[in-house]
Amino acid sequence: MRLELKNIDKSFGDKQVLKGVSFTAESGKAFGLLGRNGAGKTTSIRILMNVFPANSGEVLVDGKPIDYKAIQIGYLPEERGLYPKKLIIDQLVYFAELKGMGRKEAVLSVDAWLERLEMTEYRNKRLDTLSKGNQQKIQLITALAHNPQIVILDEPFSGLDPVNAILLKDVVKEQIAQGKIVLFSSHQMSYIEEFCDSIAIINAGRVALHGDLRDIKRNYPRDRLVVSTTKPEQIQSAFGGACTRQENGSLMIQLANPEEKSAVMKRLVEHFDIDEVRVFEPSLNDIFVQYAGEQV
Amino acid sequence: MKQFGTILKFELRGYLKNKVFVGTTVFLVIAIAIAMFIPNITAMFKSEEGVKDKTVMLVYAQDGELASLVRQYFEPAFPDYEVKLAEGSLEDVKEQIISGSAECAFAMDSASSYTYYVNNLTMYDANTALAETLLKEVCRVTAMLQYGLTPEQAEKVMSVEIESNVTALGKDQGQNFLYTYIMIMALYMVILLYGQMVATNVASEKSSRAMEVLVTSAKPSSMMFGKVLASCLAGLIQLVAVFGSALVFYNINKSAWGDNRIIESIFNIPVNLFVYMLVYFVLGFLIYAFLYGAIGSTASKLEDINTSVMPITFLFIIAFLVVMMSMTSGNTDNTLMKACSFIPFTSPMAMFTRICMSTVPWHEIALSIAILIGSTVGIGFLSAKIYSVGVLLYGTTPKLGAIIKAVWKA
Repeated sequence: MRLELKNIDKSFGDKQVLKGVSFTAESGKAFGLLGRNGAGKTTSIRILMNVFPANSGEVLVDGKPIDYKAIQIGYLPEERGLYPKKLIIDQLVYFAELKGMGRKEAVLSVDAWLERLEMTEYRNKRLDTLSKGNQQKIQLITALAHNPQIVILDEPFSGLDPVNAILLKDVVKEQIAQGKIVLFSSHQMSYIEEFCDSIAIINAGRVALHGDLRDIKRNYPRDRLVVSTTKPEQIQSAFGGACTRQENGSLMIQLANPEEKSAVMKRLVEHFDIDEVRVFEPSLNDIFVQYAGEQV
Repeated sequence: MKQFGTILKFELRGYLKNKVFVGTTVFLVIAIAIAMFIPNITAMFKSEEGVKDKTVMLVYAQDGELASLVRQYFEPAFPDYEVKLAEGSLEDVKEQIISGSAECAFAMDSASSYTYYVNNLTMYDANTALAETLLKEVCRVTAMLQYGLTPEQAEKVMSVEIESNVTALGKDQGQNFLYTYIMIMALYMVILLYGQMVATNVASEKSSRAMEVLVTSAKPSSMMFGKVLASCLAGLIQLVAVFGSALVFYNINKSAWGDNRIIESIFNIPVNLFVYMLVYFVLGFLIYAFLYGAIGSTASKLEDINTSVMPITFLFIIAFLVVMMSMTSGNTDNTLMKACSFIPFTSPMAMFTRICMSTVPWHEIALSIAILIGSTVGIGFLSAKIYSVGVLLYGTTPKLGAIIKAVWKA
């Protein structure tokens, strides 16, 4: 299955929030939707989920306009919250029923998920008696219980302790393995880097960067070297302005031309006391800052 | 449709599990039960108190014959008093009243002039009014005897009775006043109470952010209609519980109530009035509940609800006052009421009042109901629109103009 947003425009009043947003996500893979606060991520997600229509543009599944009756979507919103005063089992079954499940089926599925997320003991408790992290796990069930083909997780890891984060990672990996489209939105780049094969960075309502994460990284000019050394002063004086000291103590050498990479590496190893030298590959964090940081 | 059913069930279960809702209903049922048992309860106390001494009423006159004549007339007319002839001087009489051994006294100057002595004059003291009627009779009888009539003739003259029959060809306002009053009071209380509940319900979903999941799971129209109909059903269940228990308890105590016309007429409401009551009640409730729901969805914090719903509450209270004032004035067919009985927000109360208290042509009733049904459905869908626009607005409460603009575009 292939989910495609094509040239989505959306305005609220006089403010144009989305300007021709397009991106593609495929089943069996995780997709990262990135952007700064207010860039238009949530608006894109809401259009994708048919909360409100776009001014123009299309949401396509396998090339055809999406049929919301046939395609189920699960959503974990960034703003968490369910009914604080109601029993957990009651509201989880209610949300699963709203998504079209029969009552018995819904109860079975919810119970299975409570078991999977180690929350069975809270089944008949009120939501507001749970800790924040546990409430978040309950909310995750509302996104997954009805077995949707598309799963949208907005900041799924915020507020989880490391043990629960591992549990969630396993769940997400299962969902990907089951051939679902998993759409991530997060500011925690390490998680996106870990899961997502492809990303889109939205900046001020436009897609600033879109594609396979490995390709994006590979396409960066390989014109910088990262050097770990015990005697940075010598190298710095030898390379002058091309060499800068990084925060972690390593050195970054900017090459005038990517082709002189091997020559410079050889020179470094031969003349200086070097622990490690490698070609610099940007982290997702660097890419994000570069593409989402600049204001359009 | 399935979604609507799910929402309706969930919301209704929410009401029925709500402790305040259950508590209020139980309290009302108990209050009704107590009220219905009152004749039995008072009868129980009465039988014990029967032997208790009656309070004393004194009759004082210089002329002993006058005093005993007056006493003779007063005794059967004041069954709650032990009517005694005063002994001693007027000062002694006053003394007795102050000390409490007698409650009141009539000091007669003549058969047509007296002074009434009482320790604390209550607002509802009707003794003097009754006394005057009796004294007039005394004077008349005395006069007739003086003019030479025999006591039998005098009695015949005094006991003339007029036979009368009243037949209302249209409506008996006196009798139907009660139904109107009950219906309007019930509608008033239920709308203000449940309207607030609907608004709070929507706003709390917003403030708890449950809305974020809801809007992606259900259609706004399903949400709005499900919520409002659930609250309407809850309201009806509550009313059925209250009035149903009233009916049951009334039947248990029927003999004790004897022939209390007011109570009896409540439980013998004509079927056609009952049907009109139900129709106008449900429609009136729905139209206001939709408005309250829409308002609730535009508030972003629970604290804002009270100020946000003010305009609707005012609208409703004005409608209430117009109807109440026309009702008590007895003229329910004035121009204002006629106009109000076609305006959807006032017609549930105004038209029902007119149906009860005057004769309204059937086509006017049909038109009023048609307008009301149309506007209820219209307001319902408009509210669903406002809801779908309002629920995702956080932060400051949007201005009315902004909402209208957004709804127009949506």
